[in-house]
Amino acid sequence: MVLALNIGVYDFGGSSSYEVLWKFLTGDSSLSLSEKYVIWEVRTSRIIMAVLIGSMLAVSGTTLQGMFKNPLATGESIGLTSGATLLAAIAIVLGHTFEQYLPEIIRNSLVGVSAFVGAFLAMVIVYRISTSAGKTNVVMMLLSGVAITSIGFSITGFLIYISKDEQLRDLTFWNLGSLAGATWTRNIILSIVLLFSYIIILPKGKALNAMLLGEKDAQHLGINVETLKKQIVLITSLMIGTCVAFSGTIGFVGLIVPYILRLLFRSDYHFILPLSAICGSILLLLADTISRTIVAPSELPIGILTSLIGGPIFIAILIKYKNTLR
Amino acid sequence: MIKGHQINYQSQNVSILKSIDINVGYGEFLAIVGPNGAGKSSLLNVLANEIKTDKKQEILFKDKIIYDWKLEELSKHKAKFSQHNSQDIPLLVKDVVMMGRYPYFGSQPTLEDIKSTEIAMVETEIIHFRDRDYNSLSGGEKQRVHLARVLAQLDNEIAHRLLFLDEPLNNLDIKHQYNTLELIKKFTQNNNTAIVVLHDLNLAASFADKILLMEKGEVLAYGFPEEVFTEEKISRAYNFPCTICKHPVNDSTMILFG
Repeated sequence: MVLALNIGVYDFGGSSSYEVLWKFLTGDSSLSLSEKYVIWEVRTSRIIMAVLIGSMLAVSGTTLQGMFKNPLATGESIGLTSGATLLAAIAIVLGHTFEQYLPEIIRNSLVGVSAFVGAFLAMVIVYRISTSAGKTNVVMMLLSGVAITSIGFSITGFLIYISKDEQLRDLTFWNLGSLAGATWTRNIILSIVLLFSYIIILPKGKALNAMLLGEKDAQHLGINVETLKKQIVLITSLMIGTCVAFSGTIGFVGLIVPYILRLLFRSDYHFILPLSAICGSILLLLADTISRTIVAPSELPIGILTSLIGGPIFIAILIKYKNTLR
Repeated sequence: MIKGHQINYQSQNVSILKSIDINVGYGEFLAIVGPNGAGKSSLLNVLANEIKTDKKQEILFKDKIIYDWKLEELSKHKAKFSQHNSQDIPLLVKDVVMMGRYPYFGSQPTLEDIKSTEIAMVETEIIHFRDRDYNSLSGGEKQRVHLARVLAQLDNEIAHRLLFLDEPLNNLDIKHQYNTLELIKKFTQNNNTAIVVLHDLNLAASFADKILLMEKGEVLAYGFPEEVFTEEKISRAYNFPCTICKHPVNDSTMILFG
């Protein structure tokens, strides 16, 4: 975080970013308005957003893998992200036509709520298709994810085609993923979602371990599997939906982080669930810092970077699980 | 201990269990036997609260309707060893056995929980690979890991615990078949109950207190081994000729096929 703060295009004229941040926090009047703006509204808020979003994406990936009992399940592979992106895109393009009929509060959070609903619907569809009698068919899970992704892709493409200039910019941002939209209001919303989700999800390590035995045997260990699954469906949709609403599609964080943690702790969710919250933050902050320095003064969309790491890992897991995919 | 009255169960319009009455007492070792597709596992699953039947009030566990028990509470009173255990659990053996203690601790296992799992691992003779990957074990060894897990789950002070086992001897060598049955027998001697689906009639005859012989979703015979294992009943259930004699060494009932 400290390092990320210092790296950026804006030049603070000799003094380091830490001094500037310190001056800002202590209310020093010697700071210029643009310095204030860059250090607080741009850089710090962006760092905080990377931390929050990285953490939630990683935790949602780990949780999904626990529920589907498979390390290939993530928001992207099973279509949750596409579902969220699709409804968010619909909200952006078509939103203002029926805007006047909606109450104020929904109008303001329209994109966020749509993303959540999109993720939730995708989740329900994938789960219904791929799981019967407590057993998940991995092939069905991934293929239904592919189907949802392609539906999402085509409709989003159509929306891009018909949309106006201003909306087009928004839509492109969704598809590539970026943390450039960071603001403190968004960070506060993200923090609330994160806190709420983690209170419910993080103590579920034992239950997710028990799910490895199969749902029926988990039930014999006193775990209410139905309630657990409902909580996971709701909470992961909420987390992924919120992340997509604020940062677009940042792929594969939910795949990379648990993959690395599994190498160290096997599939013990008691460890990897809380640790993915931390490592997700680190990964995304790192990726974001690289993405805004590698082609400075411009910046690379962060989704490109995470997908670049995520793709090979996805293939690595596939090869490892070749024998069980039947 | 557990009572079932008129249990009916259908799956995809095929009637699997037809009006079964069952009443298992404290300290009883009941073996459920019968040919393939007789409904043995289904009966066990219904009794273990795994599948729901049409009517609600059929199964009484400790004189209370089984659906009215809290799952967490129930998990300390009964455990189940399933026929098809997951083959892919990327954890250490001791972590899998520790799952049996999940009903007892919050976030960190206590010393007592660790002791329980160690005793169970010693009893099932898997203690020497406690630190190995579960996935690296053979089928029979995995079976024993799950046996240790359910034994650890029922290691508590509650009087009258109930253990369900669905074909626990699958994949086990002869020594571990006997070892497993002796562990179950020991468990039932403390006034606990075990309901076990078995395929080997001779083992059932020498270890079980009562036998439930099933055929086509119905109870064909129920009672002591010598009552159930008669030439006529077994030939009828299995549709295969057999002879009954006394075991030359321990005098228990012995069934010879062919």
